[in-house]
Amino acid sequence: MYRYDEIDRSIVSERVEEFREQVSARLSGALTEDQFKPLRLMNGVYLQLHAYMLRVAIPYGTLDARQMRVLAHIARHYDKDYGHFTTRQNIQYNWPALVDIPEILEQLADVEMHAIQTSGNCIRNTTTDPFAGAALDEVEDPRPWCELIRQWSTFHPEFTFLPRKFKIAVTGSDADRAAIGVHDIGLKLVRNDAGETGFEVHAGGGQGRTPRVAVKLRDFLPKGELLAYLTAIMRVYNLAGQRDNIYKARIKILVETMGAEAFTQDVEAMYRQIRGRDLAVPAEEAARLAAFFPEPSPSTLPEGVSDAPGYARWRAINVKPHKVPGRAIVVISLKPRAGAPGDATADQMDAVASLAERYGDGEIRVTKEQNLVIPHAIAAHLPAIHEGLREAGLATANAGLASDIVTCPGLDYCNLANARSIPVAQALSAALFDRGLDEDTQDLTIKISGCINACGHHHIANIGLLGVDKKGEEVYQLTLGGVADNGAAIGKILGPGLTPDEAVEAVAACVGVFRRKRKDGETFTHTLARIGFEPFKEAVYGQ
Amino acid sequence: MGSEASVKHAHSRVEIDTATAPQAALDAARRAAAIDIRFPAFKDGRGYSLAALIRESGFAGELRATGDILPDQKDYLTRSGFDVIAPDEGSPRWARASFTHAYQPGLAKGANDRLPAYRARALAARKAQVQALNQQYGDAPPETIIAVALEVFAGRIAMLSSFGIEAALGLALLAQVDRAVPVLFLDTQRHFPQTLSYRDQLVAHLRLEDVRPLTPDPAEARAQDHDGRLYERDSEACCDLRKVRPLNAALDGFDAVITGRKRAHGSGREALRPFEFDGERVKINPVAGLDPARIASLYRDMKLPAHPLGAQGYTSVGCWPCTAPSAGTHPRDGRWPGSDRSECGIFDPVRTARAEAASRRTVRLIG
Repeated sequence: MYRYDEIDRSIVSERVEEFREQVSARLSGALTEDQFKPLRLMNGVYLQLHAYMLRVAIPYGTLDARQMRVLAHIARHYDKDYGHFTTRQNIQYNWPALVDIPEILEQLADVEMHAIQTSGNCIRNTTTDPFAGAALDEVEDPRPWCELIRQWSTFHPEFTFLPRKFKIAVTGSDADRAAIGVHDIGLKLVRNDAGETGFEVHAGGGQGRTPRVAVKLRDFLPKGELLAYLTAIMRVYNLAGQRDNIYKARIKILVETMGAEAFTQDVEAMYRQIRGRDLAVPAEEAARLAAFFPEPSPSTLPEGVSDAPGYARWRAINVKPHKVPGRAIVVISLKPRAGAPGDATADQMDAVASLAERYGDGEIRVTKEQNLVIPHAIAAHLPAIHEGLREAGLATANAGLASDIVTCPGLDYCNLANARSIPVAQALSAALFDRGLDEDTQDLTIKISGCINACGHHHIANIGLLGVDKKGEEVYQLTLGGVADNGAAIGKILGPGLTPDEAVEAVAACVGVFRRKRKDGETFTHTLARIGFEPFKEAVYGQ
Repeated sequence: MGSEASVKHAHSRVEIDTATAPQAALDAARRAAAIDIRFPAFKDGRGYSLAALIRESGFAGELRATGDILPDQKDYLTRSGFDVIAPDEGSPRWARASFTHAYQPGLAKGANDRLPAYRARALAARKAQVQALNQQYGDAPPETIIAVALEVFAGRIAMLSSFGIEAALGLALLAQVDRAVPVLFLDTQRHFPQTLSYRDQLVAHLRLEDVRPLTPDPAEARAQDHDGRLYERDSEACCDLRKVRPLNAALDGFDAVITGRKRAHGSGREALRPFEFDGERVKINPVAGLDPARIASLYRDMKLPAHPLGAQGYTSVGCWPCTAPSAGTHPRDGRWPGSDRSECGIFDPVRTARAEAASRRTVRLIG
């Protein structure tokens, strides 16, 4: 885990002070809501349907037990006893009072956390593989580079008033569990012929109203050149990105309008112009950052065994192989039957903190699938971890199955939404559980967004639902064939819109078709390519 | 998008707006003494990139931000290169002081500028490492110092060689460890032919794999030294053109450089340590402690060829216009004869002291 030094501490605490002044100016009326809006947004404070919402950054989804306990404390004391983990590996609180927010930010700063740039038209929290540093298939741990990007993008003087929000994802493995293809910038650590590691650079991907898969700008960028190259991309976008229409302001539209080749040429020219001493990543700093993320020590203890109810299934589904002998990756599902995806109570957060501390070097991850992970669990203690999770109501054995549904907050909370997404997810979850439809659905992804902004990532779901408003009615469009990781793809609409009840039945029917037609554990994409849309159409819409 | 039409001239102050095309903004910067960039809306961040481009192009005049600006944007504007912030009347007046530290390189003029955190930390680490290396290897023999330096700074170290009278020793010690380490040679185009042939002889003899000649920028050379006699008019300017600037450009990408300087040379080199931090890079002086007698015996032991000019009474060889055989007792007496100069500027102690003071400020910031 990265630890702050004097520079980091001073930047975050000065920011807390600044925001305290901004809030008191707002409360006294010295600042109007219009003037306050851009200031609060850059501190992660949204005005939602019912109240202010605070989004706290969990840099690249990595946190430790001590930080998790503070998140629990905030849920307990300033909110309604729960928090919502998001698809950007962050946490949101839906009910804090504005007057309390400076105090919350101060408590976060005490454990080296903040809400900086979790909203606004700036560079947002960098996301990465939740299994980083633990995955078997990793070329290199991406987290030191994520931390470098976190710092470089924090209060960037030139790139804080961009045409639109900006998201960067980094993956250290070919399997790409970070969905780099649908990010404004996607970086993949690769090894070249000389055996050096560097970045494959992609840009111009995104979801929202106009989903696009990113184009590749470069096969190999030396690691020390990362900041110069990122600066070049940002500058080209900041100067030329559209600003008069927020629906055309993301970098994906610029890349498409200019054409991938012309955009790449401009970026490369700018890179050649600005590269050099000030933007070179010093070897000492790269080494300093890398030292914060050591590989966990191996364990010689044999893996634990248990005949507790549900253990064998949980072990098979929620535990993933680790690169270090004697360790295991534990995925903690936040998708119980009919639950609100991504929600965790304060007690549950405390329970995860304790288990991570006792059995996994204190480290925790948040996934873009809205689950939690104990990345470095000692395999000998898997039964104890399972037992602890069961007591906390967190032992749902469905990581990566159909009922591991991703959703945005939707119309229940969000003032952008056109339709509810959580109730649909809850009804669908109940249907999948109760009808036994989860079996044999490993790696099937279902995602639901309550509006075209696509925070629920429906475009890149195998089975996606998009809520739209049709003459005052909530209607859902069903898409098939999207892929998030390892070669992103955008799903295609299957047919006419559906009512909430119909949508639940339609998704369940598609899951059923997949289960019947799937051969030898193939992916949904392969099944769909083999059998086409017709069997699904038939199941959903009849003849 | 903007065009020439949006560039308004008023004496030597030019006003552009955030929609001005980057090239038009740079053209304006070439003509004007002061530039106003007008922000039609505070959210329009293009002005920040325009300011950065203009500053990076070398514009030293006043850069003023006008229009719709929030007080909280002051720090961002300053760090993007603006030196005057003049919001329209009616903008909120409430603001706070700027941040103590920054994560990014800044373009603000003068003392407002801050080193990016990643460089501040790296320079502090570099300085601490130099102290530790001197403590451990301060009295070590040259071959140990070279071996340690090549290991610690692998991939970001070069040797600087004049291919002069005593150069063969350092090069031979380097070749014993790694012949592929880059060797930077300042090809001033004013060398004695003997130096050039000696260079070729040594490269072949030691089988050096990566000797990089550094030549002055042709355009700068034409402009400053059109008749080839700049050394007569201003020898310092000539050194700057033919040595200091080409070396600075070539050192980009290297964090450490091995020199052949020795305490016995005098001229401020009396206290030279094997490892030295100049505020930016580490200079490694493996032969610092050797006296002329020791050097001569090493040349014999290692069977190293001698520079042809050594036999003609030269004890230190630079460019032909500014080097003479040594008349006095001091090895560098023959450099810039008849002037009080003794250094070309690449090891300028004043420059080094300035850089070091700057780094001390940095290092203090981060304890």
